[in-house]
Amino acid sequence: MTEIVLWVSVQELCQCGGFTEQIIVEAVDHGIAHPADGGNIADWMFDTTSAHWLRKAVRLHHDLEIDWIAISMVVDLLRKNEALKRQSLCLEQQLNRFVN
Amino acid sequence: MDFKDYYQLLGVSPDSDSKEIKTAYRKLARKYHPDMNPDAGAEDKFKEVAEAYDVLKDAGRRAEYDELRQYGGRSDAGFEPPPNWQSNSDFSDADSTRFEGDFSDFFNSMFRGGGSETNQQSRGSRGQDAEIEMPIFLEETASETSKLVEYQIPVYENGQVNEVKKSLKVKIPSGIVDGERVRLKGQGGYGQGDGPHGDLYLHIRLVPHPLFDVEGHNLVITVPLAPWEAALGAKVTVPTLTGKINLTIAPNSQAGQRLRVKGKGMKTKTGSGDMFALLKVVVPSSANDEVKALWQSLSEKAEFDPRAQWSSEQ
Repeated sequence: MTEIVLWVSVQELCQCGGFTEQIIVEAVDHGIAHPADGGNIADWMFDTTSAHWLRKAVRLHHDLEIDWIAISMVVDLLRKNEALKRQSLCLEQQLNRFVN
Repeated sequence: MDFKDYYQLLGVSPDSDSKEIKTAYRKLARKYHPDMNPDAGAEDKFKEVAEAYDVLKDAGRRAEYDELRQYGGRSDAGFEPPPNWQSNSDFSDADSTRFEGDFSDFFNSMFRGGGSETNQQSRGSRGQDAEIEMPIFLEETASETSKLVEYQIPVYENGQVNEVKKSLKVKIPSGIVDGERVRLKGQGGYGQGDGPHGDLYLHIRLVPHPLFDVEGHNLVITVPLAPWEAALGAKVTVPTLTGKINLTIAPNSQAGQRLRVKGKGMKTKTGSGDMFALLKVVVPSSANDEVKALWQSLSEKAEFDPRAQWSSEQ
């Protein structure tokens, strides 16, 4: 049985291409992700959803060469877009049950 | 191996300056970036464009590329590098978010030391993280459940890509919600050299349920009622995720009304969400003469105008 993990540490993120401690701090400062514990940077842990958005942000920062303020806006809009899509699907399903 | 015309990929001429190259790249990157464009094929197109930019943005690499282009880039036959070719501006993985398999054979051979063991494996770079969708039935979220995960991982060896089939048994904890991701350490792409394997992420997707809709940790069940049940009130047996409950419908209930049943939603990490019964009034699709007469009599005695609000607003 393979154990699942719901957290990713800063050290583990820094093993992925494009990540450095400085970049993670920058992303956190811009509200893209929040560590579960606000102590030392080296001890920060992120839940898997935060880590997903951090990866996306670092990719966009690197690939599109845009600054962190723009990245935080893009990530915020992508998040909202994803949530709205999910909500829309759910409401559509409820409406179908209601009218059919 | 095919020669890559990076100028053509970016839609610029070979004598373009670095500003023109940057502008062309940014325009195409915005159009094809996989985080912005979900269309099939957009990601591959982005990888091509990004590879072209990685070469042309760096003066040293661009000069080497121009040399290669002069050497054999216009030949119709497959491209062969000059004998003993070695790039002086080797591409570093450290500042890139992409992996060996994201680059063409041409790039790997010319600018990454040929993807050979000497250069790549000695660095010991970490394997790529992978993500797959994991469908879960609503009933499975009520308690810890074990699922078989089968997936394929691309393995890059000496410039060759092979797919390796993997299968794992995974314990999914109760209280998992739609859209959540769980991490399986070291089950992603293989690392190079001494590098660790990447991770596998399971993106949880709840399979649509025939009866229940999901709102966060709450469930919604649509409860059909006969018109007289809505008018007179009734006791209705309603299914829940784990059994049944008796629901009291108050007299004069309206379609669209939501009744809250506490604690009968999905499991959370600390307790349970709620279930909402959404009332829907259903009229029989046919009626015999006797029933028609009763409806007629009701319509005369009820003195009910469902559109009364319209006339008061006009």
